[in-house]
Amino acid sequence: MNRLKKLLLMSALLTVTSYALAIESPQMREETATSGISHQYTGGWEYFVGGGVAAFDCNDDQYPELYFAGGASSAALYINQSALGQPLKFSKKSNSNLALDAVTGAYPLDIDNDGILDLVVLRLGENMLFKGTGNCQFENANKEWGFDGGNAWTTAFAATWEGKSTKPSLAFGNYVDRSQAGSPFGTCHDTDFYRPNERGQYSQNTPLTPGYCALSLLFTDWNRSGQPSLKIANDRQYYRGEGQEQLWKIPQGKPPVRYTVEEGWHRQRIWGMGIAAADLTGDGKPDYYITSMADNKLSTLASQDGSARFKDIARVSGVTAHRPFTGNAVLPSTGWHAQFDDVNNDSFIDLYVVKGNVEAMSDFATLDPNNLFLGTPEGKFIESAERSDMLSFHRGRGGSLVDLNLDGLLDVVVVNRKQDSQIWRNLGAGSADKSAAMGNWLALKIVQSGSNRNAIGAFIEVRVADRTQSREVTVGGGHAGDKAHWHHFGIGVAERAVARVQWPDGEWSPWIRLFANQHARISRDKSTADTWLPFASAKGLTQ
Amino acid sequence: MSALKIITLLLGTVSLTAIAATPDDLIGDERAVKQHIAQAELQNFSAKEIIAHGKMLFNAKFTALDGAGRPAATSSEIPVKKDPGISLAMFRTAGPDSNACAGCHNQPGSGGAGEFVVNVFAASGVTNVDFDTLEPQFSNERGTPHLHGSGLVELLAREMSAQLQAIRSKAVEQARTSKASVQVRLTAKGIDFGELSIGADGFIDISKIDGVDHDLIVRPFSQKGVFTSLRQFTINAMNAHHGIQSDERWGTQWTNSDDFDEDGYQHEISSGDLTAISIYQASIQTPVQQLSQNKVLKQAAIEGEQLFNDADCSGCHTQYLPLKSLLFSEPGPYNAAGNLRPSDGQPSYQYPISAEGLSQDAQGNWLIPIFSDLKRHVIADSDKPHFANERLSQRFIAIDEFMSAKLWGVGSTAPFGHRGDVSTLMEVILHHGGEASASRLKFEAMTDLERRKIVEFLKSLQLTLAEVK
Repeated sequence: MNRLKKLLLMSALLTVTSYALAIESPQMREETATSGISHQYTGGWEYFVGGGVAAFDCNDDQYPELYFAGGASSAALYINQSALGQPLKFSKKSNSNLALDAVTGAYPLDIDNDGILDLVVLRLGENMLFKGTGNCQFENANKEWGFDGGNAWTTAFAATWEGKSTKPSLAFGNYVDRSQAGSPFGTCHDTDFYRPNERGQYSQNTPLTPGYCALSLLFTDWNRSGQPSLKIANDRQYYRGEGQEQLWKIPQGKPPVRYTVEEGWHRQRIWGMGIAAADLTGDGKPDYYITSMADNKLSTLASQDGSARFKDIARVSGVTAHRPFTGNAVLPSTGWHAQFDDVNNDSFIDLYVVKGNVEAMSDFATLDPNNLFLGTPEGKFIESAERSDMLSFHRGRGGSLVDLNLDGLLDVVVVNRKQDSQIWRNLGAGSADKSAAMGNWLALKIVQSGSNRNAIGAFIEVRVADRTQSREVTVGGGHAGDKAHWHHFGIGVAERAVARVQWPDGEWSPWIRLFANQHARISRDKSTADTWLPFASAKGLTQ
Repeated sequence: MSALKIITLLLGTVSLTAIAATPDDLIGDERAVKQHIAQAELQNFSAKEIIAHGKMLFNAKFTALDGAGRPAATSSEIPVKKDPGISLAMFRTAGPDSNACAGCHNQPGSGGAGEFVVNVFAASGVTNVDFDTLEPQFSNERGTPHLHGSGLVELLAREMSAQLQAIRSKAVEQARTSKASVQVRLTAKGIDFGELSIGADGFIDISKIDGVDHDLIVRPFSQKGVFTSLRQFTINAMNAHHGIQSDERWGTQWTNSDDFDEDGYQHEISSGDLTAISIYQASIQTPVQQLSQNKVLKQAAIEGEQLFNDADCSGCHTQYLPLKSLLFSEPGPYNAAGNLRPSDGQPSYQYPISAEGLSQDAQGNWLIPIFSDLKRHVIADSDKPHFANERLSQRFIAIDEFMSAKLWGVGSTAPFGHRGDVSTLMEVILHHGGEASASRLKFEAMTDLERRKIVEFLKSLQLTLAEVK
């Protein structure tokens, strides 16, 4: 046998053994200790719930900052100091007026359409609307915007722009009304719903009665009617009687009305904690993952006639996540934050579920690891947290999948109760401390002029070959926190894609041509996207 | 179980798991590829051995036992399942439509061009092939280009991409620093690719980029100029034309399946194989000018070159592009996911392309006689619509736009035009419209003899089968 053949025979063995064996999981590296983040969500019974994190850029470098709820401890804004694709670095902003106590969660959005993100801070007590003024400075705008923050135990939030309103309508989900006799059982607080008046003032609250102890809200156009409804995940732990999950019609200029059995709505009673939405079935309509205690649901529209009838596909999709996936525990899990996003950029959306025992509920798992479900081409999910080296048994609450170092790989943040918040850098296909790309990706911003600049309520479609990914642009959901950042799409092995936007008023953009692995901004009335190159590093704050 | 099935299973098993165990004397072995090579092992081979392996793959008539055929997958360059139903094993339009790369790329030899009979039907059957016909609304019919000098082509494109992206980065930095908008020309190797406008907010307006994709990657392959690398094109073609699916594109990482095309074979071509076949193509002889022994024709060709320039043909068919380095590293730096990338953790292979026949400028750049600017141009208009004879845009590129044909070797590669439907050089010149109208008008204004001299010059741009030293 000649030399070439011998070498070929040797190499053939390597060829055979070097092939990957399954959908590739991203390698995650926990960088909590070196990240500069040191934060816990603490407190007594009132802080068994909540514990959200808001991820958003407040100093105009596109590197997202992190605002952590602190419960009985002070909330904290951490300024991103990371460099492109490098280890995650943050510094806690001192003298920030966001450093409040009694914060349960926060949601970023541009309320006043000035191009600078504002922040809605949820609290045990007065909720606050903070107006962003740039350089991560915020002003309490409750008075300016005519908003009475109330004194409820607020644990959920969502926002939507109705029609041509200059400001968003705001929904605050409140938990137990502690002032009622017999509290906590059967004393759930109503959800508060604020519509801006013609002067942009939030002077009138329309309580959504009955309230069933909301832990997550989401305005979502579930049937693509052009008019979002309000989906509410409610905690059955405290409601009684007719308590259930809710879906409210929000007709413009009219009072909200609950969907009824006659309209297809089926009563569902779970310990609703968090909502994640994404179109998993390819019908262009969002599907919803609702976290709970053991009985997490994945709801997809079941009706063909436009009625609000959903069915649960969690089991067939492999995301029941009803008990810990590792260890010997058979006790049920407790799920909190949930988020769909593509962490390995293979174009099949993934699902992250943050878990943790409420406090000391002995009927539920104490060691309850967070789930990282990787989507597959078959529409199912494969648990991968352990393979991704991000096993955590902390008592999780809020979280976020967000690209913190702008390398096209979504990193992970988790808020834990009475334990350190955690942060993982997504190394993709890399190992040790060197990241490497996985699939191709797009990071999109969509903007329009006038009000609702970030087009909340729009749908973004990204098409590659015979598949279209559809994503609703929302503010809300998750558990007590959300991100306002680039809309991330994994596109797998596609080198290019086309995208279009259905703007909130229903008008479609043309198909926009995009090349892979770029940040791009789609502006209304423009048929090409503007691309964007990340700064070499986050720029910090101007002194 | 039939004897045929047993043999198929046996050989299939061999190809799946025990390639190394393939004996030389396996009776009835009908595989075309009896050994595969791993990327990590390339370093153990000489360049000659790697090129030999790549050439073997290029010339191999793949069989079902190699994994040829894709009964459950389409020709799409990204994994797409075929609609269920019976489909032909070989299909002239939607493919698989050939047994070997060299089945089409064969004139004057392996790696060469092909005549009209070996045209391909690009984009046919990406999703559904059942009702496709030869009508242009279903596919773009394309001739088979030669691959001589293609390593140099890819190297030129890589250097141009780097230049363009560096200009972009610098301009963005300038805009951010000055907090003011910045306009900048995009020029690489003396070729103008339009303009970038960067806003004070750092966002880049791409609408004035000209002749190159807006990610500023020069994609030098295919008549449209839409493929980045030999590797990418090879991976696409292996699937489309042969039904040989690489793990780089169709493997479990992307499809959750180790046999996406459901032909019963896994790991049909390895990353090492793809590197070898890319290196083989990169190594194919550089086209040369071969002047006629006949003194009259020789002089005519020499004069024709000047006339070619006088007519501004060289405005797009740029005679030389300067190249800094002849070192061809595989995988290339601009590959996207689905093609091996330098970041994928596999060792790169470095191959120095031969400098034979190349001259250098005063700065030490190698002068590559490519006769192309590697830029796309509008090449048809209402007066001269011939080249707008397709109906499907390809990879965002309009139907009247093509990359300037690389004229090196054009004297050996009739017929002409992207569809290979023009039999003479004179005709193909006269079909030029759009941005080439002015040059064509100059050509038409020349005397008949002058025009013939230009043709004689073009005839002198030859492919050669001389051994690479």
